[in-house]
Amino acid sequence: MSSETKIEYSKKELPTSFGKAGYTLFAVGLVLVIISFLVDPVRSSFNNLIMLMFLSSIGVGSLFLVAIEYLAGAVWSVPFRRIPEFLGAIIFILPVIAIPVYFNMHDMFHWTHTEDVLSDEILSGKVGYLNIPFFTIRVVAIFLVWMLFYFLLTKRSRLQDQTGDQKLTTSNIKISAIFMPFFAITITIASVDWIMSLEPHWFSTIFGIYYFSGTVLAAIAVVTFLVVYLTEKGLFIKGIKTDHYYSLGALMFGFVNFWAYIAFSQFLLIYYANIPEETYWYLNRWEGGWIVVSILLIVVHFVVPYFGLVSQPSKTNPKRLKFMAIWILVAHIVDLYWLIMPTYSPESIPFSWMELGFPLLTFGIMVIVFGIKAKKENLVPIGDPKLKRGLDFRL
Amino acid sequence: MSEKVLFAITAIFNTPDEIIKAAEKTAENGYKKFDVNTPYPIHGMPNAMKLGRSKLGFAALVFGLSGILAALLMTFWMSAIDYPIIIGGKPYFAFPKYVPIIFEVTVLAASIGTVVTMLFFFFKFPNNSHPLHDSDYMKKVSTEKYGIYIQADDVLFNAEEIKKFLNELGAAEVGEIYWDDDEVSTSPKILEPKFLGFLAVTAIIISGTTYFGLNKLMFMVPFNWMMEQDKALPQETSNIFADGFAMRMPVEGTISRGTIPYPYYGKPELAEKLMINPLDYSEENLALGKKKYDVFCSPCHGYFGEGDSKLRGQYPNPPSIHSEKVRLWSDGRIYHVIAEGQNVMPSYSTQMTREEKWATILYIRALQRALNAKESDL
Amino acid sequence: MQTVDYSQELAVIEKGPSLREIDEIISKPLETKPDKKYYLALSITVTMLMIGVVGLGLSFYYGTGLWGNNNPVGWGFPIVNFVFWVGIGHAGTLISAILFLFRQKWRTGIARFAEGMTIFAVMTAGIFPLIHVGRPWLAGYLFPYPNQHSLWVNFSSPLLWDVFAVSTYFTVSLIFWYVGLIPDFATLRDRTANKIKKITYSIFSLGWRHSNRHWQHYEMVYLILAGFATPLVLSVHTIVSFDFAISIIPGWHTTIFPPYFVAGAVFSGFTMVQNVLIFIRKIFNFEHIITLDTLEKMNKIILLTGSMVGYAYAMEFFIAWYSGVQPEQFAFINRAFGPYAWAYWIMVTCNVVFPQLFWIKKIRRTIPVMFAIAVLVNVGMWFERFVITVTSLSRDFLPSSWAYYTPTLTDFAILIGSFGLFFTLMLLFTKTLPVVSIAEVKAVLEDSQPSHKDH
Repeated sequence: MSSETKIEYSKKELPTSFGKAGYTLFAVGLVLVIISFLVDPVRSSFNNLIMLMFLSSIGVGSLFLVAIEYLAGAVWSVPFRRIPEFLGAIIFILPVIAIPVYFNMHDMFHWTHTEDVLSDEILSGKVGYLNIPFFTIRVVAIFLVWMLFYFLLTKRSRLQDQTGDQKLTTSNIKISAIFMPFFAITITIASVDWIMSLEPHWFSTIFGIYYFSGTVLAAIAVVTFLVVYLTEKGLFIKGIKTDHYYSLGALMFGFVNFWAYIAFSQFLLIYYANIPEETYWYLNRWEGGWIVVSILLIVVHFVVPYFGLVSQPSKTNPKRLKFMAIWILVAHIVDLYWLIMPTYSPESIPFSWMELGFPLLTFGIMVIVFGIKAKKENLVPIGDPKLKRGLDFRL
Repeated sequence: MSEKVLFAITAIFNTPDEIIKAAEKTAENGYKKFDVNTPYPIHGMPNAMKLGRSKLGFAALVFGLSGILAALLMTFWMSAIDYPIIIGGKPYFAFPKYVPIIFEVTVLAASIGTVVTMLFFFFKFPNNSHPLHDSDYMKKVSTEKYGIYIQADDVLFNAEEIKKFLNELGAAEVGEIYWDDDEVSTSPKILEPKFLGFLAVTAIIISGTTYFGLNKLMFMVPFNWMMEQDKALPQETSNIFADGFAMRMPVEGTISRGTIPYPYYGKPELAEKLMINPLDYSEENLALGKKKYDVFCSPCHGYFGEGDSKLRGQYPNPPSIHSEKVRLWSDGRIYHVIAEGQNVMPSYSTQMTREEKWATILYIRALQRALNAKESDL
Repeated sequence: MQTVDYSQELAVIEKGPSLREIDEIISKPLETKPDKKYYLALSITVTMLMIGVVGLGLSFYYGTGLWGNNNPVGWGFPIVNFVFWVGIGHAGTLISAILFLFRQKWRTGIARFAEGMTIFAVMTAGIFPLIHVGRPWLAGYLFPYPNQHSLWVNFSSPLLWDVFAVSTYFTVSLIFWYVGLIPDFATLRDRTANKIKKITYSIFSLGWRHSNRHWQHYEMVYLILAGFATPLVLSVHTIVSFDFAISIIPGWHTTIFPPYFVAGAVFSGFTMVQNVLIFIRKIFNFEHIITLDTLEKMNKIILLTGSMVGYAYAMEFFIAWYSGVQPEQFAFINRAFGPYAWAYWIMVTCNVVFPQLFWIKKIRRTIPVMFAIAVLVNVGMWFERFVITVTSLSRDFLPSSWAYYTPTLTDFAILIGSFGLFFTLMLLFTKTLPVVSIAEVKAVLEDSQPSHKDH
């Protein structure tokens, strides 16, 4: 195909409003977070855990998107590969966010109570896995693995901007392939350790996949939002067409369904078999007012995005995509809230200004990280050999 | 050839770029009844031909939603209303359990519905005969060439002008397509004898095989083996035993579980004196009594115990249970009759449990009371 | 190592044949008389089929007592074979629907063929639940129809969900396949000189005339069907997994079963497609249509799904230990070290270890090696279902009722027969219908699409 698509990209500064919004969110969020830590450290730690899981989702989910693009040989997503690459940098903030959780572990994770564990036959059987030293090792290892692969994957991509060397793509494909098993293992351990072990008696084999589905969905949503936003502001490369939007929308739609499929499978099997050691987890999320959140989760995380994205025109409409992307991010927070908070308060739904501060801070961090990266680097991988094909992409 | 009716002017092009351009120009010139034939779908052709978006998405939506609704109603009505059974301790209509069925029915309905819509509404099935068939033009466009034709019934049709127009676009060849004679007639062919005969044969074959399969085949070897097993059924004769009955009495000296043998055979006075009905007049007991009475007693005694047998004289009618004698009997005495039988009435000791007998007696008392009510009952 | 130019699109079809050549290559098997090798292959598969027919006939006449099924292993070979064949059937729809939605052009060469496999595999799979009910001629009772018993089916039973899922899957796959075939029938109709063929093709082509007014709706329908088939294909093996996972038998009841079964199904299906494709492209000279690149991509997917299956095995073990539930822990120790350890380790080596060889590019592109690995994976996936079904049942909660399951000759006859049926249908398919989609292949040839110069 001999198309005359030109690569028209010149680096532009992000508008100051972008940075301002980020710093405002960050500042307001941080103030609220600090106050809530002073008022109620335990509750804040749980909220902090939600923030940690959400930012992990975005960070490592973005890394996954980058890797899968290399592996699948996809071209349509090449023009905006930098966006997940930038977002991957969030990984470096995760250890900082993990610190408050780490210091409040005793109040969050029941298995840290040695005397309870010893008197509980089932918990004492798990000591080999659920103990603080091994837990710490796993957390550190997970962070290191993620950082390492972030470094390996983005370094060559940046280098390619200058050289345009095709070999860099080849080696990135190899790195991505190696990343995949690491990704599967780390994200499973992360979900088991940081969410499932909050209620140490409960177990579900699908849990890692459940968290994975939410992770990738959230990452796609952020990327979609930023692509639409940057294109609207004229900061992005020329040539992003409805075909690209459609693909993003379809991917988002697909993962909305995938999440629903995994969530429903887990629920149906536990509901149907009705074994007490499993059902109590869902019962906790059905009683004490939590039923509202459970129903809300179905509506927010599945019904609305499903009907919002099901038709072909809605997948190509940038405004709709932007709205749904934000909606899905909120839905992911609701999902994590539903997973984590019933452990803190099984009797009632904790919701006040304290729960608001953390999401504000979360979004602030995301915006700032993206802003910093966007200032330093090109928004588009201009050296990528597949870039032109990506712009030529047609359905 | 001259009496044949012109259908369209055709043109063949060699490259996809040319055909796209030709389609665009044709549409721009205001022709409405034209079509492009290509061996595979060409990207961007619907735009070039100025066609709107395909509306089949709506068909899928409508059929899908109908499927959801139908499946919901079906599972709800069948398992919660018409035949409710508790399974696995779940409610009659446990929505999560029915999601798989609802999903499958939805997909089935939507897929079939969409394809059928396409065939009947857009491809005009079964009226899919077309003058283009078997033409040279068709042979070319179905392998390697790209064709366009403009129909003769287009408002702007002018054979010479169109030929010129198509040649100017760079057509490799321009030709004409005529209607076949029998295609021009559009009279309905549904009433043709051939078609009716076909219908009749189909109907006979289908109903014949159905009849044979359900009413004959299922009663042949080996399909009937489940029905006709080597075993004795109740009430059957059997030549294994000397008395010719297939049903056997319990082995002597044994009783079935839970049975307390009746101790007063042949001693009605003792039964009258010593036996007391252990049951109370509760709704539950009366309901059980009514059920058992209706099953075992009513065939001879009648539903209300007046001795109005349902057997219409094929068997001697028993006396009414509303007689002074029976009313004054104690419960134990009636129990004795049920257990031992009386005159032509056989013993019911094996058919009814103790509790059922006592409950039946309660019900008999209620019947008696109903015909001989006292003022205090009002 | 060869270098790849990422800035150029790889041609899906090699050597740039003309449109007419495509027609000729693809329709050649339909227009030539089959040779000796074909008849030899057919006689082998028909013999296998006949063995199965004998097994089935005996089972119908004497009853299911001829099988090894007994207490406590009430689900023996029939269910293992059912799950195996349904799994094989998943690759076709995956290739034709999911890869279509992902716009993977390399699917065009193999899609038709894989769809055909889906249909035959589902047909083969359908035999097993049917014979497992004991009196297959009364299978109509499985559907909710108003009857004189005023009974309804049990909608709570996953076995009934299977009835709905498999029949829906079969119907939708058939429709999908047929819709894909319509333009090809039209092309064949216009090619052939044989009168009977012409009438047959005319009927099946539904008056198709490659009109772009039709293509527009046709493409929409194809997209919609792909959109429906994608969740459908997930749902089918999900529901098959529910047959097991809904229960409380240790080793069956685990929440990862739905995605794990789907990954396993795709895994086994792809290897089966791979096995048969290797023959087809050789025999019919389709090397330029079904390219080595395509096979390599298939191998990558086999590696991916194989690793997913491996993940599921590991996760099951880990959570069984982590759960602290004794029967659960026992079930898995029993699997790996109990009386069926041999089956378990066959499964692990074939499914997890061998596919890992596909990390090496050279192996991914060497045909004999990939053929061998694909065969091994098929063996492994059959054993996976065997392990799941039999180990958990043979040693359940009550040690006094433990027993070892031994299949009978009839069981094996039916298993052989199922392969016979599948391959017989495949062979007949290659000689009656175009095994590669003519229209789709044409659409992905180089220079077959307008260049959009003036847009």
